[in-house]
Amino acid sequence: MTSAHVWGAQVRDVLVASGVEPREARRLTDEFLAEAQTAGQDPAGLYGPAVSYASTIARTIRTTATRTSPLDPVRGRVVLRLSQVTKRYRRRLVLRGVDLTLRAGEVAAVVGANGSGKSTLLGICAGVVRATSGTVERTPRLGYAPQEHGVSPLLTAAEHFDLFGAVQGMSRRRSRSVGGQLSRQLGWAPRPGVIAGHLSGGTQQKLNVVLSQMNRPDLILLDEPYQGFDQDAYVDFWEQVFKWREAGAGVLVVTHLLHDVERVDHVLELPRAEES
Amino acid sequence: MRRQWLHGFLDLCLLSLLAEHRDYGVGLAERLSAAGFGEVPGGTLYPSLLRLEQQGLVLTTREPSASGPPRKYYELTAHGRATQAERAQAWGHFRAAVDAVTLSAQGVVVEGPS
Repeated sequence: MTSAHVWGAQVRDVLVASGVEPREARRLTDEFLAEAQTAGQDPAGLYGPAVSYASTIARTIRTTATRTSPLDPVRGRVVLRLSQVTKRYRRRLVLRGVDLTLRAGEVAAVVGANGSGKSTLLGICAGVVRATSGTVERTPRLGYAPQEHGVSPLLTAAEHFDLFGAVQGMSRRRSRSVGGQLSRQLGWAPRPGVIAGHLSGGTQQKLNVVLSQMNRPDLILLDEPYQGFDQDAYVDFWEQVFKWREAGAGVLVVTHLLHDVERVDHVLELPRAEES
Repeated sequence: MRRQWLHGFLDLCLLSLLAEHRDYGVGLAERLSAAGFGEVPGGTLYPSLLRLEQQGLVLTTREPSASGPPRKYYELTAHGRATQAERAQAWGHFRAAVDAVTLSAQGVVVEGPS
């Protein structure tokens, strides 16, 4: 094999691993090689290293696919309403009188310093943490991606899909197809036989986000899902959040790194917890 | 910094070059270089061309070349032509605003749009 072939094979592998359809990956790679030949250059010299070039290409494809549907989000019924929610752990007041109304087709970002109760609030929204006082109303179909313990280290991605699909009464085949499709939207193609414990932190978080989507929820609750994400994956993640919004879901994202305040519909800033 | 600027404006530059006449990848790289952009790396140029193709702004055709291997030519679609005009105008407004601010810092008075 020539060095051009090695470069091409690497580009194709990275494209496929980033969620590009294998046939499309082969077609694109052939074109890149042909173009390098036209230019009379070695592909690595013309395009740069295979891995970084392929990542750029994969991202280009994903982001253009996203941008072609600039529909205005449809705001609909209320999917989550918090009224005067308070949480106290012994003498520590973690949340004080939080109000929030989130409708279908809206994105809310919860921001605040470490220890301001962001994850606690998310747990309250999901119904896994009990509020000390106040009321929480929510739609029954929700997806939740907690910061920790969202994936089981000894199961493969496909087994996670089976498990979470089964809860929704989906067939195994359907679960895997839905899980695979959602993964590709996040720029990831799960490799068969690899257990979650062997995935990188960022990829585990992608799996976690995919699982929160398996039931096509009306309300999506996400906790710091970009931890361990690189810059590109972070951008992809937000593109995906806005896609879910376009599709009519209400999305609540806990974040301490909000780049695009203007693009979200609500920002809920939590003050630091106080002793009393 | 120049590299980041190029990233932001490369799509518009390519659309504008193609509005003049259709071209192939190497030809576009040469024209960008002649315009003063220096050498634009293929790792920047080709993703940009792919994006334009995916957005339906350019069409590609592969044609044999007298001097060597076949070339992939890019040309604007009608949508590409309209987009070029629209973005060129928006860029003109933006450039005028940047000029107004940077030149006034140098003591140059800029006439507002008439």
